[in-house]
Amino acid sequence: MADSLFSRIFLPKGRNKVWWAFLFVVILTIASGLVTFGNYYNQALDKYHIPLVKVKEVPFRLGLDLLGGSQLVYDADVSNVASGDQAQAVEGARDVIERRINVFGVSEPLVQVNRTSDGKYRILVELAGIKDIREAIKKIGETPLLEFKEQRTDAPTLTEQQKKDIADYNVKAKDKANEVEGKLLSGGDFAALAKQYSEDLETKDKGGDLGWVSTKDNKDLTDQAEKIGVGNFSKEPLMASTGYEILKVDGKQTKEVKASHILICYKGAERCTGDLTKEQAFAKIKEIQKKATIKNFTDLAKKESTEPGAKETGGELGYFAKGVMAEAFEKAVFGQKVGTISSIVETQFGYHLIYKTGENFEYKISHIVIKTKSAEEILGADAQWKNTELTGRNLKRASVEFNQQDNTPHVSLEFDEEGAKFFEDITARNVGKPVAIFLDGYAISVPNVDEKITGGKAVITGNFSIIEAKDLAKRLNAGALPVPISLVNQQTVGASLGQSSVDNSLKAGMVGLILVALFMIIYYRFLGLLSVIALGVYGLLSLAIFKLWPVTLTLSGIAGFILSVGMAVDANILIFERLKEELRAGKSLSTAIQEGFSRAWPSIRDSNFTTILTCIVLIEFSTSVIKGFAVTLVLGVLLSMFSAITVTRTFLRLFSERWFEKHRWLIGYRKTN
Amino acid sequence: MVNLISKRKIWLSLSTIFVAVSLYALFAWGLKLGIDFTGGSLLEVTMNGQQPSISEVEDSLASENLHSLTIQPSESNGLILRFQETSEDVHQAVLSKLTSLAKKKGATDPALEEQRFEAVGPSAGTELQKKAIYSVILVLLTISLYIAWAFRKVSRPVASWKYGVATLVALFHDVVIVLGFFAFLGHFFGIEVNTSFVAAALTVLGFSVHDTIVVFDRIRENLPRSNQDFAGTVNMSLNQTLVRSINTSVTVILVLAAIVFLGGISIKYFALALLVGIFFGTYSSIFLASPILVVWDNISRRAR
Repeated sequence: MADSLFSRIFLPKGRNKVWWAFLFVVILTIASGLVTFGNYYNQALDKYHIPLVKVKEVPFRLGLDLLGGSQLVYDADVSNVASGDQAQAVEGARDVIERRINVFGVSEPLVQVNRTSDGKYRILVELAGIKDIREAIKKIGETPLLEFKEQRTDAPTLTEQQKKDIADYNVKAKDKANEVEGKLLSGGDFAALAKQYSEDLETKDKGGDLGWVSTKDNKDLTDQAEKIGVGNFSKEPLMASTGYEILKVDGKQTKEVKASHILICYKGAERCTGDLTKEQAFAKIKEIQKKATIKNFTDLAKKESTEPGAKETGGELGYFAKGVMAEAFEKAVFGQKVGTISSIVETQFGYHLIYKTGENFEYKISHIVIKTKSAEEILGADAQWKNTELTGRNLKRASVEFNQQDNTPHVSLEFDEEGAKFFEDITARNVGKPVAIFLDGYAISVPNVDEKITGGKAVITGNFSIIEAKDLAKRLNAGALPVPISLVNQQTVGASLGQSSVDNSLKAGMVGLILVALFMIIYYRFLGLLSVIALGVYGLLSLAIFKLWPVTLTLSGIAGFILSVGMAVDANILIFERLKEELRAGKSLSTAIQEGFSRAWPSIRDSNFTTILTCIVLIEFSTSVIKGFAVTLVLGVLLSMFSAITVTRTFLRLFSERWFEKHRWLIGYRKTN
Repeated sequence: MVNLISKRKIWLSLSTIFVAVSLYALFAWGLKLGIDFTGGSLLEVTMNGQQPSISEVEDSLASENLHSLTIQPSESNGLILRFQETSEDVHQAVLSKLTSLAKKKGATDPALEEQRFEAVGPSAGTELQKKAIYSVILVLLTISLYIAWAFRKVSRPVASWKYGVATLVALFHDVVIVLGFFAFLGHFFGIEVNTSFVAAALTVLGFSVHDTIVVFDRIRENLPRSNQDFAGTVNMSLNQTLVRSINTSVTVILVLAAIVFLGGISIKYFALALLVGIFFGTYSSIFLASPILVVWDNISRRAR
């Protein structure tokens, strides 16, 4: 069956057909050559000014080991996702990671989901040619995990023993805190004691130093610091959320002030559009100064100030830090007390009167923490919470908004259609109960549900500074992961190592091919030469296909290609041996050629077929190194069957039987009569 | 015509010895598994200055408490470190320790270049082991099924499934020898076995079967018109395909030898595994698979 099909396709009758086939091979070879060596062809056209059409240059697609780069494998933990939704959740995580990676400008990053044999989900990330893999890993891992949880109805409670343990532990903690406090009171060095006793691992080695903490960062802490006063420490351990805390305040400074002002500018001052002289302006501001009180300051500013827009703002400047205002202005406003009006201040803009309305301080604080235990720690932070169907996957948009009452920033979340539905359901079944919003495993906001919320919007409140709120919104927008991921595999190859490997291996491949060509020509003479030409066609064709497919070339892929050359030769050897055998049996040359090809075919078919089977298993093996090898090998085997049979055969049939009879030594057999 | 079959006892004993020695190496020493299979990290760095001694590197990393840390110089005048920890934090900590060591040694910026880093989590390692074993079994199964199918019309005097079994024995022979050879390399030269070794082993399977099929094909073709007995027909077929078998192996071995001696370090051992496997694959297709058929035929004749 296969034989007859084969002969119908590959054994056309008549000499014309041979020439057609030859033409086809030649055209194919030229086309492959143009694809493979397009850049050299174009260069040659330029150099010698040949008026021919240029070809499109297609580059090889190189794998990580050749280009340098990283392969990262993440394990996606889907244990909290209903089994039917797992695949979708992991796909969501994949999309998010891809979005994050696109920021790095990696060319054609590969992000794909694999399933292991025991059903785990893996996300494979390949970043070719990336410079800073560390940054990439951080960015991918940094992606926030957003979860919405509701209260567990069957929340575990503490056993009596656990309750007792907690109480005991906390008594001991209190004793320890008092001991440290005692040492401080009797003149102990705060930093040394912090190093010795503090259980805050982050600050411990720095002598408990928290740096400058502003009212906005942590109002509770700065309130305490204000009470304690600069240069002092707390005279008894204070209760904080994590345990006992002893504070020391080393400094206090103004971080931001809030003020409004009245400006009278004169001709020649910066940005001034009025036409008062300097003297007139000074007289004017003097006059206003006399009238100005705290009560009428805003009205006066609206009426008199030459500052553009003052009519609307009343001269209000809001909060500002040092380095924003003109130097003289800053000096005055940072020096005066809240609730006072300054004397006349001159800047490049004109004369000012400044009314200071508010001030924010920051404190340099150190602390010693002695931790206590809470029920939450024993039971786990989320023991009382259970996952809902709503996750970061359903997030459409996050943005920063400000609370109408006190202007504090919060992050507003907008859900997609499905998420809105989920949120409505969650709020409906939790009226009067809290719902927790978890970010990266921590509850950041636990609002109480007053009523069912429709419309798909939620708000995360928390002690955010504007910067923190903006950052969070940005991270959420970049993509919140629907499932947690962890890095389980990493493979990084420096570009220089890759390059030397490639150079050596290509060189080795070349040497190997030349040896094979020599062997073939020496052993099979003219037939060998034909097969080497066929091999050349095969090589060009494979490389062209690698470019056009495109096949990602890895080092092992190159090895697969080189090996497939060996197999391509094998097909020719099989045919030639058979051909010689038929000649020895006294058949005529054309019959021998015919028989050689058709008799060798079953062997070629069967042997190559097993190689293809092996390759299919290897491709399923799905490690990229092995895949690269198997893909090039299987392509090579398929192409080699074409080249060894059709191409060699076409060449062979170009020569007439008479010509062969004259030059018998070319084939290496003597006529045996 | 060379009478290969009559000397079958020599060939079969030779193969038995090879397999026995390989099995001994495999069980006595075992394969040295790379981090692909065991989990762990491999870090290759080059330093831009005076090369520190191994003990200096060990000292500088002492505070990291790395488990089963080994350090060896690499061929490109750098260092290869292996350790059990796989987390990114440890990776960065080790890098920064090494950088400061390099700077202490007077290296100029960039003091340290990371050539290669591979980290395989322990679970991923076991997974890969499983996968490797599955795929070897799968390849063996598909190949023998294919052979049984391809030779389904040949049933006299030897049943077609026996061709499949003979092929399997030959395959087993080839793979065991490759494994034994790498157990030897691992024991004496510290050569590790990694994912690409599995690929090499699988390719050897494919190639060996390739060779065996060519011989069996000839037997299949000769049987109906041969006037000799089975042993004689097999011997004739072997002789007819002998030159082809050797020439094919020679061409492939030429290519592989070029890669082993000149190629990049990362495919050197891959090519070596192929080289050994293909050499013995050719040997087994001539001197093992076909003699087995004859021996089997004799045994069943005697039994009748």
